[in-house]
Amino acid sequence: MIDVTSLLVAGIEFGSLPQQLLNGILIGGVYALIALGYTMVYGVLRLINFAHGEVYMLGAYTALFVSWIIYGRAQDPVTVVWYALPLMLLSAMTVCALIGIVLERFAYRPMRNQPRIASLITAIGLSLLLQYGGQLFLPVSPAPNISGKVNPYRDNLTFYLTQPAPSLVRAADALKPEMDKAKAALDEQLKLEKDEFNLSDTGLALRKEFFERQSAYNKAQGEAQSSAISITLPKGQLIMFTVTLILMAILRHIVLFTKSGRAMRAVSHDFDSAALMGINVNKIVTLTFVLGSALAGAGAMMSATFISGVKIDTFFGLLPGVKAFVAAVLGGIGNIPGAVLGGILMGVAESLVVWAGYDQYKDAVAFLILIVVLLFKPSGLLGSNKVEKV
Amino acid sequence: MKPLLSMKGATIRFGGLVAVKEVTFDIRPGDLFGLIGPNGAGKTTCFNLITGMYQVSSGEILFGEDCINGARKLPPNKICELGIARTFQNIRLFGALSALENVVIGGFLRSRSSLFSALTLMPPAIKDTRALEAKAMEYLKVMDLEEDAHTRARDLPYGKQRRLEIARAMATNPKLILLDEPAAGMNPQESEQLSRTVRRIRDDYGKTVLLIEHDMRFVMNLCERIVVLDHGEEIAFGGPDDIRNNPKVIEAYLGEPV
Amino acid sequence: MRFWGVRLASIAGGIGLAVLIHWIALSQLSAFGVRLVVLAGLYVTLAVSLNLINGITGQFSIGHAAFYQVGAYAAGLFTVKVFSSQPLTFMLWVPVAMIVGAVVASAAGLLVGLPSLRLRGDYLAIVTLGFGEIIRILSQNLKVVGAASGMAIEPKMLSQSPMVWLCWLLAIGSIALCRNLLQTAHGLSFLAVREDEIASSAMGINVTRTKVAAFVLGSALAGAAGGFYAHYEGFLIPTQFGMEVSFIILTMVVLGGSGSITGSVIAAVALSALPELLRNIKTIPLATVIGLTIGVIAAVSLGRRWSEQLHGPVRDRVLKLSGLTGLCLGGGYLLGLGLRALPALSEATTDGNRIRMVIFAGTLVLLMLVRPQGVLGHREFGLGKWLREPAR
Repeated sequence: MIDVTSLLVAGIEFGSLPQQLLNGILIGGVYALIALGYTMVYGVLRLINFAHGEVYMLGAYTALFVSWIIYGRAQDPVTVVWYALPLMLLSAMTVCALIGIVLERFAYRPMRNQPRIASLITAIGLSLLLQYGGQLFLPVSPAPNISGKVNPYRDNLTFYLTQPAPSLVRAADALKPEMDKAKAALDEQLKLEKDEFNLSDTGLALRKEFFERQSAYNKAQGEAQSSAISITLPKGQLIMFTVTLILMAILRHIVLFTKSGRAMRAVSHDFDSAALMGINVNKIVTLTFVLGSALAGAGAMMSATFISGVKIDTFFGLLPGVKAFVAAVLGGIGNIPGAVLGGILMGVAESLVVWAGYDQYKDAVAFLILIVVLLFKPSGLLGSNKVEKV
Repeated sequence: MKPLLSMKGATIRFGGLVAVKEVTFDIRPGDLFGLIGPNGAGKTTCFNLITGMYQVSSGEILFGEDCINGARKLPPNKICELGIARTFQNIRLFGALSALENVVIGGFLRSRSSLFSALTLMPPAIKDTRALEAKAMEYLKVMDLEEDAHTRARDLPYGKQRRLEIARAMATNPKLILLDEPAAGMNPQESEQLSRTVRRIRDDYGKTVLLIEHDMRFVMNLCERIVVLDHGEEIAFGGPDDIRNNPKVIEAYLGEPV
Repeated sequence: MRFWGVRLASIAGGIGLAVLIHWIALSQLSAFGVRLVVLAGLYVTLAVSLNLINGITGQFSIGHAAFYQVGAYAAGLFTVKVFSSQPLTFMLWVPVAMIVGAVVASAAGLLVGLPSLRLRGDYLAIVTLGFGEIIRILSQNLKVVGAASGMAIEPKMLSQSPMVWLCWLLAIGSIALCRNLLQTAHGLSFLAVREDEIASSAMGINVTRTKVAAFVLGSALAGAAGGFYAHYEGFLIPTQFGMEVSFIILTMVVLGGSGSITGSVIAAVALSALPELLRNIKTIPLATVIGLTIGVIAAVSLGRRWSEQLHGPVRDRVLKLSGLTGLCLGGGYLLGLGLRALPALSEATTDGNRIRMVIFAGTLVLLMLVRPQGVLGHREFGLGKWLREPAR
């Protein structure tokens, strides 16, 4: 479907590539956070926790409610309080962890001795129940949005990778004297006019000319600017990515260097043997859900806050959830570094599709990747090939 | 006589582990052939290689003239079609289906009626199904299971499940039948009876039998030629008496009475 | 000779039943009632065809609506482009368009079936879900099918006398195909793949071909249903399909018992009416919903615990458990009335449209907790004789 000519027609600008790649990596961090939850639960229980996306959604709502408690419900700009963002993050993580515990204890644990398909159907059912049941109790219309209100880091950092093309800069500069001249003429005339809102014909003509020259100059200026390759980095998203990295480092520490982490790896390696070796598997499964859900909560709070224009509704977790799952499969499900790698690659792939001019197919690319991965390397990039024992 | 099945240096590696190493032997038509060895010797892996569940890392396996695993790697269902059927060590029956249905499925690969005629329930499909059912009933009788024909496979006792697996394998009308520990979990009487049945499969039905078994008395009484594996390597080959007195075998079994 | 006599009689019986349903629906029922009958017929086809994939062959597809949609769009597009330049009357045309829908949908089924062969249950689920999403996104963006604003199908069936017989003929045909299949050795090979793929391939069954056949057949039937729907509704927009519909079909199959055709049919008829009936309920106090939910949860958790201790004849146990359920639901309703006294809940209402998916999802979860094998399990009820066939 995508061939070279259509790409050319779509008008690809290679100059915007670095920007899109960066966007991809930033959003990929969020996918990675969610993917970790999928991969960890799959690792210990061999269960695709379909409801994980809904845990993420409830994390966003928690952040919303906490922001309402701190700042009130009005949409007006507010004076920023320093503890607002940390509090929102912590409460989203805590609430999600609790939801994870409840789901595991009351829905998945009774299913553990049933065929795997039964747990899978339960998971799908829970996911739907939270999506549609949530609509009865959570504010959905108008879909709330907190990014504009509570995010104090809205300004951008802009880095220029190359200078604007000199010929275009010169062309733009050449238009400036003309515009200044028109402006001066207009100003002169305005002094003579009695009523600024009811200009004479001369005034009107001069104003029209000034506007034309101004827009020509702005256009040339814009062209010159866009010939430079630059990266715009919203500060908020930078913070988001940093926090993501910190959380991943903490997770890594827990999984690799603590007793519980070791137990978790043992359970993931062989559930039954781990139980026989005296590991309290129920405790470890709960811990897995707590960690995974808390990460999803953090991801939800940050993407609701730092990505501008994001609206929260009960389907907030649907697409990110599915994409994160694909990311987990891409990296090799059950494999923690794989989930991070998969998440980042997923984000990048998506932004490449946007860059190629196919924004409307942004959400479909995840599934294409999934199908390709499953066809050619079902164990994922970092996963190990397991031979089924006969 | 031309061999029916020849293993020619069949080898398989799982990562660093060489599970089966350069195993070479021939099975002649009409053999009652035993494959024995301590736990983890690679016996079941050999079965999995022969039936195409695993693919050889090197070497090849010939069935008659055809290469089934090696230069050409056939999928399990093709190998079964050529005439190799097997049972499983950890029983793999179609649990929710009745004993009769299990055996009918075994015979299904010889059925020539189309999916279309099955969907429209046309005479070819009906005739095929009736014929397969009649045939299946016959195999159930051979395995002394005719009274359990309509019992769900997973509700059968263990010994009957093992026999049902043999009936199902027989139904594929193989030339060579592989039995993976057919006597496991049976008491001496049952195992004695099974031994007679296996002999009947060879004598009355003309099947070649290759079996894995831990019950030494069972193997020594039944099999005419035996290969012994240890740690994936072939350590002995011969008739029951040769094997019984072979010092390497005795060593491998660490004094188990052979 | 006797064979062909019985065969002709059963075909005539099937057609007769479809015509009877048509006649009863059009002569006795309101327009709304007729709509329910048509939708029931379509959902029977969809549920039975998904059951072929999920229940009988043991694959786990959760994107069945995609095939329905592909069939609807293909048939609709075919009619829009071709109808005016051909000699058939509309009544003969619709079956032709449905066949086109079925063929295109089965090609889609092949497309999904092939890569999915190497996948076990849970992965396959995601692939089918993803396929559904891809179809939805494509239909929202392709100009040729009207993108998000939809596509009008002209000509369409008259809304006062739709071809109810045709959709029920399709439904009855689907049931017959699946039942026929299960009566032959061929059908057993599908069940064998469900039970154990490795053992199946060791028994010479071509697992790949069986799975693909199930996918192609199932999606063809769904596509034909879509073809009917396109000409019945006369207008197609992407939101008529999508995940919601897939999950509704899945719930029907799971509720009826995976593998049981009878179960799928009963569940499809029962559940297809639910969304339409609920759509007409404009206001339900939220307090009642909460109360009843608590009642249901209480009934399920108490019933689960209690049923383990109950002994004695089946009838007694059923009576006791239904008594418990009644008590819990009644209690839940009363609790709902009480909750209305709370200021936060006194005014809050919701409508049927918004709770229907909640009911479906809740059914799915509770069913898994109480009776994962579905109401009928793998059982079938024979037509007329009401005798239990050997369980499978």
